[in-house]
Amino acid sequence: MTRIVSRRDFLKMGLAASGTLAVGQMLPPAVAQSARKSGMLNAEGDGVISTMCEMCVWRCGVLAKVKDGRVVKLDGNPEHVHSRGNLCPRGQSGLMNTYDPDRVLTPLVRVGKRGEGLFRKASWEEALDTVASNMLRIKEQYGPEAMVFSSTHNLSQVQFENLLYGFGSPNYGTQRSLCFNAMITAFSLTYGIEEPSREYEDVEFILMVGRNMMEAISTSETSELSHAIDRGAKLVYLDPRFTKTAAKAAEWIPIRPGTDSAFLLAMINVIVQNELGDCDFVRQYVVGCEELPDAMRRYTPEWAEQITGVPAATIERIAREYAAAKHHAMAHPGWRTSNFINSFQTERCIAALNAISGAVLRPGGCLSADLTLEGAGLGAPPQPAYPRISAARLDGTPWKYPLVPLKLGVFQELRDNILTGQPYQAHGWFISRQNPILALPDRSKTLAAFEKMDFIATVDIIMNDTAWFSDVILPEASYLERYDPLHTIDGKAFIRQPVIEPQGEARSALWIYKQLGERLGLGDYFQYQDEEDYLRQQLKPLGVSLEEVKEKGYAEMPKAAENREITFNTPSGKIEIYSETLKNAGFSPWPTWEEPPVPADGEFYLLTGKVAQHTQFGTQNNQLLHKYSDEPRLWMNAQTAAQRGLADGDWVQITSAVGTAHSLLHATEAIRPDCVYLTPGYGHLSKGLTTAFGVGASDSALHVTYTDPISGGQALSQTFVTVTKA
Amino acid sequence: MNDIKHHAFLFDAVRCIDCRACMVACSVENNIDMDKTRIWVSGIGVKGRFPNLQRGTLVYHCMHCEHPDCMSACPVGAYSKAEDGPVSYDPDKCIGCRYCMNACPFGVPHFDYDKGLFEGALIDKCTFCPQRIYEGQEPACVQTCPTDALEYGERDELIAKAHARIAEHPDRYIDHVYGEFENGGTSYLILSHIPFAELGLPALPETPINRVSESAVGLTIPVALGWTAVLSGVAAGVHLYNKKMEERAAAEKEAEEAK
Repeated sequence: MTRIVSRRDFLKMGLAASGTLAVGQMLPPAVAQSARKSGMLNAEGDGVISTMCEMCVWRCGVLAKVKDGRVVKLDGNPEHVHSRGNLCPRGQSGLMNTYDPDRVLTPLVRVGKRGEGLFRKASWEEALDTVASNMLRIKEQYGPEAMVFSSTHNLSQVQFENLLYGFGSPNYGTQRSLCFNAMITAFSLTYGIEEPSREYEDVEFILMVGRNMMEAISTSETSELSHAIDRGAKLVYLDPRFTKTAAKAAEWIPIRPGTDSAFLLAMINVIVQNELGDCDFVRQYVVGCEELPDAMRRYTPEWAEQITGVPAATIERIAREYAAAKHHAMAHPGWRTSNFINSFQTERCIAALNAISGAVLRPGGCLSADLTLEGAGLGAPPQPAYPRISAARLDGTPWKYPLVPLKLGVFQELRDNILTGQPYQAHGWFISRQNPILALPDRSKTLAAFEKMDFIATVDIIMNDTAWFSDVILPEASYLERYDPLHTIDGKAFIRQPVIEPQGEARSALWIYKQLGERLGLGDYFQYQDEEDYLRQQLKPLGVSLEEVKEKGYAEMPKAAENREITFNTPSGKIEIYSETLKNAGFSPWPTWEEPPVPADGEFYLLTGKVAQHTQFGTQNNQLLHKYSDEPRLWMNAQTAAQRGLADGDWVQITSAVGTAHSLLHATEAIRPDCVYLTPGYGHLSKGLTTAFGVGASDSALHVTYTDPISGGQALSQTFVTVTKA
Repeated sequence: MNDIKHHAFLFDAVRCIDCRACMVACSVENNIDMDKTRIWVSGIGVKGRFPNLQRGTLVYHCMHCEHPDCMSACPVGAYSKAEDGPVSYDPDKCIGCRYCMNACPFGVPHFDYDKGLFEGALIDKCTFCPQRIYEGQEPACVQTCPTDALEYGERDELIAKAHARIAEHPDRYIDHVYGEFENGGTSYLILSHIPFAELGLPALPETPINRVSESAVGLTIPVALGWTAVLSGVAAGVHLYNKKMEERAAAEKEAEEAK
């Protein structure tokens, strides 16, 4: 049979041709050479290379199958504790991020108006010089604090911070206040650790408060939860939506939004009044154990029933079941806990519940607070001290938010100060691996803040919305094309290494930051020749060669001494259910009830929450994930919809205090009548995203900015909307 | 893993979280076009009235039947059933008649309307990832599953495992392993908490459908020969009759002309 070239083959040839041309002229095939040397690729260029996923922050180990210089399949690395041979849909689709037809593959300089999408190609030399000269000009005219830097959690962030603090700006925007500030500040104040680990091996009773583990997947933890349920562990799940996690729970409680802490306070009350907890543990390790019953007395199940809508008997029963499971009970700390201004109290209650059951810190217990520092035991390039920074942070940390750690910050508050110019005016914004236009609530406010900027530069791999509104775009190599600093986990230092040559002129963040740093006169903060040299310096104390790590995928870390002496990094050295620190800052020292606002008549709570196929705002353009995810629609309770004359599939207009959006309606029984739900991360503005543009509605356009004064967390579920037929 | 005598899948709807990692994995492993798929999800979606609700998802691809209907329907022998389980499809033999699509009780084989006659594979379906299973790897869909809702192994062992799971949690599962006997058995076995019909699975007899059709198909030649004989006889009779009539007509004509 005659074989005619298919459409697919033709496309492949086109891609391969453009790829080879660009790469062939720019670079020797360094990846292939080094992979061949270590035996990972055979003479034909085929083989398997061990690296690390970056489709979310869980960082699963990945085995990348390479054929003819193209990555053709990703499998979970069985040796990595986060993947154990599995990958979630996002991990499986990773190569489509790399081969996205919308990749930005050369530096771009804006030629049209901001947001018009007109750019011209530029050389790296020109692009980097432009960014550096603008930053230096702003520093000279207005001081270093007039430059805002923002980046979302990633492995090269240590070098991003060198850029920012070396430059001398205090203005650091991280995604954390949009995500887990409530959890981290609550656990830091109560236990002295940021994020407790979770162990599912012996767990018998799991309480999850809005932690949609089956859709917001962390591969190994989702797997552990699933296996625990298989084994017979009981999952009690609080969520206003019947999510895919709710479907796996023994008990789903569709609690009224914003009232989780009332439910939990009543649970604590039942346990302490009836002395059902681990009293010995509490007496020994908890500050406030004597006064706790009194402090909790008013939070009776009957009181909580009025607030939460959950029958008092149910709350009491769940409290007793939780206590009966003793050390085998886990109140899960959650993850994105930026829901209501009282989410910090919810997290404090969760911390308290784990303390009074005695589960925390118990070796092998459900919540063992094992503290290992990122990067401990590894080497690093020489790190000079930073210049003294005296300017106040524009996001209000700590002068307005005294308890928010500097490295978390209160990102959403930055814009008001940019718009008012108080206490001083910001003039430039350098953004790397972040998409503030879609990440921050109230998109029109973010766009207005962008308008106030003299200069915006963005590092990204595709034309995300923020890149679309930038003046210079620096194209980063995708995670399958570059090195990042090592990541230590479970006694191993794992490597992220290129499995294919970078396409076009894309470069790693380590290279981009160094090039920029040198142009800004900050070369001392970037004392590495190239990415491989950086990793060699990291590996030096381990006495392992880079070649060995590249081949094996990781280096064994020296075994830390077994230290199970129980200490807490709090002022008292104990678990602080009663916190003097909170009291001194003018807040309640006890976990307490704070009434959040409620929607007016005819309004709904606007809920958002992940689907298994997407990570925040960065994966909607991935064709494979687009292919296998449900069309994003606004969920509304089917009976509520019928009462309002709305039908499944209708176009509706969603209106909040700050914006409007249009969406198709999904009338479903799987949500409370007083809520609507929108899949987050859609509604992109960038026409440079040919798959994602025009799909779905933007939650960022609707979200109102509300900040919790204690943790600085944005209250993402506190936006109320009306819904009308469009 | 290499000494498996009968490769099979076990899918557990109780474990499945409908994340679709299997679908993406299959798409990448087999380089499937962006508008096509070899795995589907079906099921009840969300069933019930708030707040008494239930979800149920079936992930399915080719069932790799023990008695494949696609194979018996195929007039050119493009399908084959390997002794160790997989049902495979040979694009070089396919003439694009689509009988297999009608024959499959699960609606699995799909016709590729985008491809012309010269481009080979006209029908698309799961291959059982031979490039992986004969290299000691699990099929792509199984390997990636974060909750072990999809498992792979020796058919007998998976059946035993499935029954053991039902016995351990009789409250959670329907006491039936779909595919153990349906249609004479399949190599894709299914456990569920939702009635199988609601997941979209047909109720099939234990006797394979094609045992009936094949016995009929087996009669084709005798029937054809028999019919040939009967029809030949009839034709011969008709011919003789016509001849006789013609002779008679000729005789009558002759007689008339003679008048």
